Amino acid sequence: MGKLYKILKYFFITFWAVFVVAPFLWALTTSFKDFNSVNGGATYIPWVDFEPKLEGWRVLIKSPANGGVDIIEPYFNSLFVTCTASLISIILGTLSAYALSRFTFKAGFVKNNDITFFFISQRIMPPIVLSIPFFLFLGAINLLDSLIGLIVVYIVLLMPIAVWIMVDFFNKVPREIDETALIDGCNPYQAFFKVVLPNSIPGLIVAGMFCIIFGWIDFFFAFILTFTEVQLLPVKIVALNSSITPWWSLSASALISVAPLIIVAFVVERYLSKGNLSGAIK
Amino acid sequence: MSKIDLNNISHTYNPKDTEPTYALNPFSMTWENGKRYAILGPSGCGKTTMLNIVSGLVRPSAGSILFDDKDVTDLKTEDRNIAQVFQFPVIYNTMTVFENLAFPLLCRDFEKEKINERVNSVAETLNLQSFLKFPARKLTADQKQLISLGRGLVREDVAAVLMDEPLTVIDPDLKFRLRRKLKEINEEFKTTLVYVTHDQNEAMTFADNIIVMSNGEVVQAGTPKELFERPNTTFVGYFIGSPAMNLFETEASSNDCVKINGTLIKTNTNLSKLKDKKIKLGIRSEFINLAEDQKDNLLSVEVDKVEDLGNYKLLTAKMGELTIKSKINRETEVPSSNVKLHIPADKCCVYENEILI
Repeated sequence: MGKLYKILKYFFITFWAVFVVAPFLWALTTSFKDFNSVNGGATYIPWVDFEPKLEGWRVLIKSPANGGVDIIEPYFNSLFVTCTASLISIILGTLSAYALSRFTFKAGFVKNNDITFFFISQRIMPPIVLSIPFFLFLGAINLLDSLIGLIVVYIVLLMPIAVWIMVDFFNKVPREIDETALIDGCNPYQAFFKVVLPNSIPGLIVAGMFCIIFGWIDFFFAFILTFTEVQLLPVKIVALNSSITPWWSLSASALISVAPLIIVAFVVERYLSKGNLSGAIK
Repeated sequence: MSKIDLNNISHTYNPKDTEPTYALNPFSMTWENGKRYAILGPSGCGKTTMLNIVSGLVRPSAGSILFDDKDVTDLKTEDRNIAQVFQFPVIYNTMTVFENLAFPLLCRDFEKEKINERVNSVAETLNLQSFLKFPARKLTADQKQLISLGRGLVREDVAAVLMDEPLTVIDPDLKFRLRRKLKEINEEFKTTLVYVTHDQNEAMTFADNIIVMSNGEVVQAGTPKELFERPNTTFVGYFIGSPAMNLFETEASSNDCVKINGTLIKTNTNLSKLKDKKIKLGIRSEFINLAEDQKDNLLSVEVDKVEDLGNYKLLTAKMGELTIKSKINRETEVPSSNVKLHIPADKCCVYENEILI
C-alpha cells in the first residue's frame, strides 16, 4: 500500500464525510438564526457571522396560544404510531413468513410463492391508489383522525416489508434446525421461539429497521387521514410553512425529526459491521 | 432403547397422483433393541426417507411403526423420544456448547444436576470438555458435528439414535475413532443405533446388521457375513465388496452344474427347477484361488495383470471374453502360464433374473 493510496483514501473519506455532514451543519446553524441573518447572505459561524437566537427552537415547544407551534405532541404521536405499527407488523409478518417458509399451502393454483407475492404486491401500486379506499374504510369504522386508525393503515403498509424480508431470511435458515429441535423434544411452537427465532435476530433487526424508517417518514397517509384531533410529525412540520417561511424553526424541526432514525442507524450499525447481517438483506 | 417394528411401511411424496412414484416401496422389518444397524445404498434410494419415517418427521403413506409393540405411527416427533443426527452439523447458533448439549434434556424437564452430569459425561466422550463454555457457532465444522452427535447421545433413554451419514464432514482419522466410540457407546448403554451410509466399509465394520436399499426397495437385510457370502441379488453382490462380485452369464447344463466358456462348474444349488436357462453365476474374488491339488471346478485362464494392493494381491485373469478377479495371498507367486483357478462349489451363488436361487 503506497503512501499515495493512503492520502487518496483519507482525502476521499474526508470529502465524503463533509458531503454527508454539511447539510446537517447547515440546518443546525440555520436553526439558530433569525429573519435578518437568514436573508443577509450565506453565514456560517455563530457570534462571528451572526448573532445566534433560540427563537427557532423555542417556537417548537411553545403552545399555539403563545404563538408557538408545539411539535411535542405530534412527535410522541409519531413515535407511538411508528413503534406500535412496526412492532405489530414484525410480529404478524414474522409469523406469516415462517408459515410461508416452512409449510406448503395450496388453494387451486395459488401456492406459497403467490401468497408471498401477494404481500409484496401491496407495495407495488402507488400509495395514492390506496388513499380513497383507506379514507372511506376508516370513515366507515369511525377511525378517521385517530391514532388507532393510523396504526391500522401503517400495519397494512409495513407488514409486506416484514413478510418479504423474513420469508427470505427463514428460507436461509436450514429446515434441519427445526427438525432437530423437534427431535430434541420441543413442540413446534417451542422450536420456533427457542431455536428458529434466536437464529433470526439479524433478519428481525433489518425488518424492524425498514418498518421504522418507512413508518416514520410517511407524510402522505398521515396527511390524508388526519385533520385536527391527531397530527403526526411530518404533517406538523409541513404546516409550519406560512407566508414568511420560518427557515429557523423548519431547520430545528428537521433536525429533531431525523434524530430517532440516527439513533436507529447507530444501533443497527453495530450489527451491520459485525457481518451478522450478511445475507440478511439480500 | 426399544425394539422397533416397521410394518408394511411405504411412502410416496406425491400421494394425489393417479400413479404415485414410491420413494419407499412396502417393506417390513424389526430392529432389535440394542443392536447396530446400517442402512446402505446409493444416493436417492430412500435411506433418509426411511430414517425420517422412524423419527416422525415424515408420516408414511401406508403401514405402521411400533416402538416396543406400541403403535407410534401418529405420534409426533417430539413425543417419540428419538435422537437423529443429520449429515451436516445442525447446531443452535445462539447457544454455547453446553447449552446445545443440554437442550434435549432441558426440553424434557430434566433436573439440573442430572443435566450437568449427562452433559459432562457426553462432552468427555466426545472430547468437548474444554469447549463447553464456547459459543457453538465459533467451532469448526467437525466439532459442530460432534455437538450434533452429542445431542443425540445425551439422553440415555432414547428409543434409538438415528444417524444420517453423520461422519461425512469429519476427517478420516477422527472418523475411525468416532466409529469405534459409537460402537463402545452402543455396547455400554445398549442403545439401538441406526446408521445411514453409502460407504460399504463403514457399514461392514460398524453394524451388526446391514439393510441394503436400491431404488426405494429393501433389497437385502442381514449380517455383514450373509451379505458378503450370499448376496440376495446381483445388485448387492455388485454393491458390496471390493472388488465387486464376479458375475458370469451362463446357463445350466445339469441339475447342479453350469457351463462357463465350455468348462463345467459344479455348484451347491439345485438347478432342476429353473424356468429360464439363462442364469448368472456369482462368486466373490476372495473365494477364488489358484488351484493347488483340486481336481474339479477348475478354470484355465490367462493372467491379465497382478496388482499388489498392500495386504493382498488382486489377480485379473481372462478366459476368452470373461474377466475374473481373484484376491490372493501376497506371498503367492502367480505362474505366467498354465494358470488354473479353483471355484469352490459351496461359495457359488446362482442368480435367475438377478435374484438368488
